[in-house]
Amino acid sequence: MKLVITDLKDFSISIKGEHRIIKPQGTIHPCFGCFGCWVKTPGQCVMHDGYENTGMYMSKCTELILISQCCYGGVSPFVKTVQDRAISYIHPDFVIRKGEMHHKRRYQNVIALSAYFYGENITEQEKKTARNLIEANADNYDGRVKNIYFYKTAKELEDILL
Amino acid sequence: MKIALINGSPKTKNSASGILLEDLKSHLSQKAEITEIKLQKTFIPEEIAAELKTMEALVFSFPLYVDGIPAHLLSCLIQLENAHWQNREIYIYGIVNCGFHEGVQAKYALEILQNWCKKTELIWGGGIGAGGGGGLANMPSTKNGHGPKAPIDKALQAMADKILQNKRQKNHYVSVAFPRFLYRIAAQIGWRQMIKANGGKTKDLGKRPEEP
Ligand SMILES: Cc1cc2nc3c(=O)[nH]c(=O)nc-3n(C[C@H](O)[C@H](O)[C@H](O)COP(=O)(O)O)c2cc1C
Repeated sequence: MKLVITDLKDFSISIKGEHRIIKPQGTIHPCFGCFGCWVKTPGQCVMHDGYENTGMYMSKCTELILISQCCYGGVSPFVKTVQDRAISYIHPDFVIRKGEMHHKRRYQNVIALSAYFYGENITEQEKKTARNLIEANADNYDGRVKNIYFYKTAKELEDILL
Repeated sequence: MKIALINGSPKTKNSASGILLEDLKSHLSQKAEITEIKLQKTFIPEEIAAELKTMEALVFSFPLYVDGIPAHLLSCLIQLENAHWQNREIYIYGIVNCGFHEGVQAKYALEILQNWCKKTELIWGGGIGAGGGGGLANMPSTKNGHGPKAPIDKALQAMADKILQNKRQKNHYVSVAFPRFLYRIAAQIGWRQMIKANGGKTKDLGKRPEEP
């Protein structure tokens, strides 16, 4: 399954095969750092606003595709909120990988992570930050990076096939 | 000199971000007029945004979330980028604490803040990436340069000096002076205590719930 997390409300990009799309619908609450998704209801965020199950959806995906406005070399607030609310995908315990501390896996699937950033004035430095950030995310999900692309407008993305 | 210490942790109390700002403040307070601000929501009230614009330095202290800036704080930064800044001679400093032991894991979050500075045309003053943030609330304060927080305190002291002189610093990555293997054990004991306090069992930490 492909899991798409996007800040585009009017999402009209073609996707091949089975997929699920998480996009802005209603109000999303930002994480408030309680770790309840690890120690109260492991695997699920404690705030029930329709965005509490992303960790579980991630466990079912082979590809995680972020489609986001590029904000200073990172994803946009909506996409980031969804990511912050989905740390239950991993286990709270620590492991050492590549000499650095990370979290243990909760699930067995290995995620191929792609990011499609759009924005009029993405600087070279922001692109560099974004590439490194996505690599760091993949390390923390114990997955791998598949693609990282940059576009000027969200409209340009309509021609692609995910 | 007017300095705003901005706590970007969404926690209402006992945030590591707040502890780090307290420590920074102890190195600043004699010589500065300090305003303490908490940003816990996705929006900054107008009067606070207006106040921030009157400062000479802004220090953002926040937790590392998914290798980046917590989403609510990112929304606030976007709001500030679009605010009307009359004076852009304002120095911006960042203190990012993270749960992992290596402060360098905060590197890209500091870069994002630096990139924001560039877009907002403010002056990047540099940052600290502090590893082992999860333990800060339980660690004793530094005495005579000793204790588990000593390396972080040293970095904060150096940053305070730069702030007071309107100078920049290179990003400084530090960790608590507490061995990584012990930090890991302590954290894992912590998760077990927490899940039990919530009525669960240790093995529940590894639950794999199916989607509803
Ligand atoms: C949603 C979320 C995401 C996190 N992501 C990371 C991360 O990517 N790397 C890391 O080292 N710690 C991560 N942490 C741990 C926090 O950075 C750590 O607990 C920090 O000390 C919290 O600071 P505070 O008390 O100031 O909020 C994350 C915590 C939460 C709640």
